[in-house]
Amino acid sequence: MKMSSNEYDAVIIGAGIGGLVCGCYLAKAGMKVLIAEQHNKPGGYCTSFKRGNFTFDAAPHCFGSYREGGMLRKIFSDIGIDKKLNVIRANPSDIIITPNYKINIWNNMEETIEDFSQHFPDYRDKIKQLFYLLVDTNPSSFSNFRNITFRDLLNYYLKNEILKEIIALPLLAIIGLPSSKISAFVGAKLYSEFLFDGGYYPAGGMQVLPDTLAMTFIKFGGELRLSCLVNKIIVKDNKVKGIILEKNEIIQSKYVISNCDARQTFLKLLGRKLITDDFYNKLISMIPSMSNFILYLGLDKNFQTSLKTGSAHYFFNHYSSEFAYKFVKKGDFKKYGGFAFRVSHDKSSIYAGMPAPFKNKIFWGNNKYHVMNAFIDRIEKYIMPDLSKHIIYKDAATPYTMYRYTLNYRGAAYGWLSVPSQLIIPEFKKPPFIKNLYMVGHWTTYGIGISGAAYVGYDTAKLISKNNDRQNNKNLII
Amino acid sequence: MIDKKVLENEIKEIISDVSGYNLEEIKPNTNLINELEIDSIKAIEITVAIEKKYKISVRDEDVPKIVTLTDAVELVYGMLNQKGN
Ligand SMILES: Cc1cc2nc3c(=O)[nH]c(=O)nc-3n(C[C@H](O)[C@H](O)[C@H](O)COP(=O)(O)OP(=O)(O)OC[C@H]3O[C@@H](n4cnc5c(N)ncnc54)[C@H](O)[C@@H]3O)c2cc1C
Repeated sequence: MKMSSNEYDAVIIGAGIGGLVCGCYLAKAGMKVLIAEQHNKPGGYCTSFKRGNFTFDAAPHCFGSYREGGMLRKIFSDIGIDKKLNVIRANPSDIIITPNYKINIWNNMEETIEDFSQHFPDYRDKIKQLFYLLVDTNPSSFSNFRNITFRDLLNYYLKNEILKEIIALPLLAIIGLPSSKISAFVGAKLYSEFLFDGGYYPAGGMQVLPDTLAMTFIKFGGELRLSCLVNKIIVKDNKVKGIILEKNEIIQSKYVISNCDARQTFLKLLGRKLITDDFYNKLISMIPSMSNFILYLGLDKNFQTSLKTGSAHYFFNHYSSEFAYKFVKKGDFKKYGGFAFRVSHDKSSIYAGMPAPFKNKIFWGNNKYHVMNAFIDRIEKYIMPDLSKHIIYKDAATPYTMYRYTLNYRGAAYGWLSVPSQLIIPEFKKPPFIKNLYMVGHWTTYGIGISGAAYVGYDTAKLISKNNDRQNNKNLII
Repeated sequence: MIDKKVLENEIKEIISDVSGYNLEEIKPNTNLINELEIDSIKAIEITVAIEKKYKISVRDEDVPKIVTLTDAVELVYGMLNQKGN
């Protein structure tokens, strides 16, 4: 058989965490793999950028699921990068601040339970039961959460409205949904994999993660092409044949794995004609997750704070995720009444964010600076008086920025919206109507965030390797 | 009425698809969680696939009862019988 240099076993569209992890496993298994990434650096959302002496994390600012036995730890050790990375962990990883409470999520679960129980002594036993249920590792007990909301789950254990809201607020800050909307399964996973086992950070910045993955991928024999936009997926007889790049460059491949936005994958790269009516109707009815408005502040050397550096803080001036959701959806950030922020470990910068609706380029062109300055005012008013005196650099990313760098539909931060009806839909991971096409990453309905995207990358690579072995064996017998 | 053996093969196929394990590796009493790496996401995936195929809806409290292929077959068989009546 002719093996020209542009024929691959697998091509992966996008070097997000999902694509990189999938690529590492496939290349390690001996397959010839190409990753084509449109941006000039790997990572997707998980990147950092430099401005003067400051390094800012663009979007994700920490990761979870890295305990001994955690999914991300398993993946990093499988591909041999756990020892190469210098992972630091904030303790507490997360801090919830409201007008009357300041509650820490510690690295140690018992301490976290103690913190909550000190504020809500009547609920000590229930809090303990609930939190241990959230970290239960038995798959079947988790499966019970598939059809219900996180609110249903909280109602089952707790009566105190304030306590329920305090538990719901970090999820609102992260995903942009109130407990009455968010899937109980996703809410539980966020608690077990991102809050109770969260706060991990690669020394040097978030970009270190994709950079290390990319280097490992190349070491395993993989090929990574940056600034390389994929325009089409080639399909013949309902089977993928490869991809088309700019200038009509054709790359042939047995498997195509898309790490990019689902709508782009199906409507643009494949095209309406190649997808079934049922799937098309499903696709256009799906709702994406909320985007984010992110503030990046570079600070002078005199900046001091009593707040814990490296920890994620969730500040809210109320106890109603329902109310806040209504307003943030419309872009009324003042009434949303909250934000998330982190002072960098070295105290040189601040990352702060809030969920935000997509709107469009023109809207953000007109409103970015106003929203940014009002945001700084609120941080100053509520938690850091004098902050503006110490700012030497400021900039912000709007939902449009999120879209522009990653091509994620409407700058969605976590793929599809995490409501029960959009959980685990197999067609989004392995579309049944096109052979040898797979999806990885947060648009699959199988996992969100860095650890979720990595999980899907790992799992899909495993399925492809098994499938490939099976086909090769068949060929051998014939 | 559907034959139990047919049902077993069909459900085995679903489990094979979801887990990536070959059909031969899935025995009636293989523990899905410990031996086939079925995690919470895959448990849901299998449940959803079964519901779709047989147009039934598995009650949440029944999901934890599915530990092996046989358990899944019995559950679906029971539900289909009820439906038929
Ligand atoms: C502001 C913000 C904060 C977040 N904070 C956290 C956090 O603290 N912790 C956490 O775990 N998660 C966080 N998340 C979520 C997390 O970033 C994502 O869920 C995860 O990174 C998704 O990874 P992915 O591999 O699915 O996709 P992406 O990161 O979106 O990667 C997709 C890649 O595909 C490329 N691509 C797209 N189209 C094409 C094309 N046609 N050709 C070639 N390449 C293409 C893109 O350039 C991109 O590199 C945050 C998200 C946002 C937006």
